[in-house]
Amino acid sequence: MDNTMAYSLADFNYNDNPDVLSPPADFEKWLSHPGVQAAFSLFEQPLMSAPVIRTEVINNFDHKRRKVINLTSYNYLGLCTHPEVIAAAKAALDKYGLGASGAALLSGTFDLHIELASKLAAFKEKEACVLFSGGLAANMGAIQGLLRKGDVFIMDEKCHKSLIDGGTLAQARMLFFAHNDMDSLVMMLEKNKGVRTMVAVEGVYSMDGDLPKLKETVEICEHYHAAIYLDEAHSTFMFGKNGRGIGEHFGVEDRIGIVFGTLSKVLGGVGGFVCSKASTIRYLKCYSSPFQFSCALPPAIVAGVLKALEIATRDSTLRDKLWENVAYFRKQLLDMDLNLGDSASQVIPIIIGSSGEKLLSMALEIQKRGLFLQPVDFPAVPANARRFRLSVSSALTKQDIDEACNIIHDVIAVGLKN
Amino acid sequence: MDIAQNKARIVEVIKENIVKNIDGVNKADIDIEKSMKDYGANSLDIIEVVSCSMRELNLKVPRSELTDIKNIAELADKFVQYLN
Repeated sequence: MDNTMAYSLADFNYNDNPDVLSPPADFEKWLSHPGVQAAFSLFEQPLMSAPVIRTEVINNFDHKRRKVINLTSYNYLGLCTHPEVIAAAKAALDKYGLGASGAALLSGTFDLHIELASKLAAFKEKEACVLFSGGLAANMGAIQGLLRKGDVFIMDEKCHKSLIDGGTLAQARMLFFAHNDMDSLVMMLEKNKGVRTMVAVEGVYSMDGDLPKLKETVEICEHYHAAIYLDEAHSTFMFGKNGRGIGEHFGVEDRIGIVFGTLSKVLGGVGGFVCSKASTIRYLKCYSSPFQFSCALPPAIVAGVLKALEIATRDSTLRDKLWENVAYFRKQLLDMDLNLGDSASQVIPIIIGSSGEKLLSMALEIQKRGLFLQPVDFPAVPANARRFRLSVSSALTKQDIDEACNIIHDVIAVGLKN
Repeated sequence: MDIAQNKARIVEVIKENIVKNIDGVNKADIDIEKSMKDYGANSLDIIEVVSCSMRELNLKVPRSELTDIKNIAELADKFVQYLN
């Protein structure tokens, strides 16, 4: 029996090909399988216009250009095409040109960068903020800047690869506690008493959409004198009465030592930021490769993000609309008996089970019907919980949601019953 | 070799890789009814032990089939199925 489809990207990391530039021989063979090619066709499909709700995509599997309802882009508050954001970016393009032409440390810092860092720090109620040119770079750079060889870095097992990469770069000893399991966290802290320790959790887990047990985590970490790193990539600007994020939502933001967020989701641009005490940020900058040796954010992006920050936080209108859409979407999906896991956010998984073949055939069909909803397969998620992952946006209309749900019903709900 | 001999050989290889990749573990003390996590392995350590073991044994089990493996003995049983 051909079990080619049982293999995944988790199986081809090791490479003993004597030519370093060549992939492993069995990887090429695996790639040539029609089923694997069909799965790969879902990667790098080009969007032909902005990542808004109604956009156009060229599907790789048949090379057709389709008008789609977009439930995959992270444009959570619809700000990446907001007219004020575009106007701010255009004005900055005219004034500053295209790129920063240098790393932030030496020549790439502009007045706009200082303004954005200062406003982000003020918003997050921390003393200082450092900007990075990418979200992944920010996590890696922050961990590299602070942890040293022999330090203990304890993460929730569902933490993002960027945190793991940061731990690897810092040569920290990494431990992963069972997801949201406080006993598991306590056991690891107990075993490493007396060692410099940082604990990382996420505001919204990116594949499950669930929240951390943040209050309990904070109390435990304070008891063990462990620092807390809160990754708010998918939660900042959306949660909390004032949109300050999950820390505010749980009433513990002043007890979180260091917080991370991105500029690429709600704020519609690209990049990442880290906020903490001024002394922490000053020191971190000195030992962070992505800060010191990577070109700074383009000024036009920074200008657009500054405007997006202002719009996202001027009042709760956009957040309220987002949560209204989340509630409406969830109700319809639950009425179809779909498994949404423990999602409590704008990230909603539709868990279909352990069949990679079923996931793939549904994924292709869904996109043929004009819904840009990407599947998430093993190893990004557990093999027995493969899924689709919806990103709800405040920009969705009721009609968008109804149309999307019709397609989801016809392809996924019906498909799962058969 | 029969299945029992194969399993014994596989267990030896896995134990040797555990000792190489996880600090403070004596080969003689490894109980195969336990999981590598019980010996302090994180998920990255486990991936390394499994990868090295599969290479030495010249077999390739899809990682997706290792999700429900609970301990070292079950890992060895899975490897036996895939032994050429």
